[in-house]
Amino acid sequence: MDYDAQLKLQAYLDGELPEAEAREVANWLAQDREAIALFAELRNTRQALVGLEVGVTLPESREFFWSKIEREIRRQEQLGPPARSVPFFSAWRRWLVPAGAVAAAALAVLVGLSGGSGVSLVETAVADPAAFTYHDFSTGTTLVWFSYPADDELADNTPAATVQ
Amino acid sequence: MTSLPTTLLLLQSSNLSMRRQTFSTALRPWFWAWVVMLAVNGLAAPAADLKLEALLIWGTNEQTSPDANHKPVGPKLKKKLEELPLKWTHYFEVKRIQFDVPLSNARKVPLSEKCELEVKNLGHSKIEVTLFGKGKQVATRTQELSKEDTLILGGNAPGATSWFVVLRRPE
Repeated sequence: MDYDAQLKLQAYLDGELPEAEAREVANWLAQDREAIALFAELRNTRQALVGLEVGVTLPESREFFWSKIEREIRRQEQLGPPARSVPFFSAWRRWLVPAGAVAAAALAVLVGLSGGSGVSLVETAVADPAAFTYHDFSTGTTLVWFSYPADDELADNTPAATVQ
Repeated sequence: MTSLPTTLLLLQSSNLSMRRQTFSTALRPWFWAWVVMLAVNGLAAPAADLKLEALLIWGTNEQTSPDANHKPVGPKLKKKLEELPLKWTHYFEVKRIQFDVPLSNARKVPLSEKCELEVKNLGHSKIEVTLFGKGKQVATRTQELSKEDTLILGGNAPGATSWFVVLRRPE
């Protein structure tokens, strides 16, 4: 069976052929065992794929999703090339003494300011599955978006002209 | 006259003394810096009241708001909103409230008839924010809110518009 015949069989299965051509293929199928076998295989494959086509829904809007990817790409692009390697002892001499002093001072400040209770977590998540959080570290902005329907809006001061 | 080995010993001893002195001199500024840090640390007490500002914002693609009382948000907030992945182009300030929250206390801030915010001052710029919608608790969030930080809660509003509650430290 040539390639065009296979394509015609596939088109017949998908219901894409005009009535006259469809009738021809039906007659052909009644006479050709090879065509029947291929048609059965194509039909089984289509049914298997239909069962697998489960829609994937994101917990956030499309704009949010792609924006996060775009920002991550930009962030990685902004990172410079890896630093040139320096001898271990040179780096040690240059950085360890001041770094140790700064670390000790920072530790003293942290312990003092936290009242000895340890460093607290920066944030905790919103205990709401319908909400998601977006951080913009460059501007220090945190957005918590609630994906509720518009009917559940909280702002009643929106102008009446916009209410559906 | 001293013998040669004794002279060498004396020289070595002198070098060691000089090295000790150099080492001590080099560390002295670090020591005093550490002492100053400790003193500052001891004096630093958490601020009693936390000054905050809450804004109710309406997001839309319309250039003007039908409500004459609404005014466009300020340039800083507008820039922040525009840098977020939001689809709206114009933002209007519906309400703005400045308030203080004493340490370890909570303060309720009504922003509209349906929307209310409760902010608790946990100390060291850390707050617990609870959003109430129509009297029901919608969400609670705990985070640090430094002077540079902005917390924005938002959601959909009718007519393909949006609402936002912005919480920040007033300038």
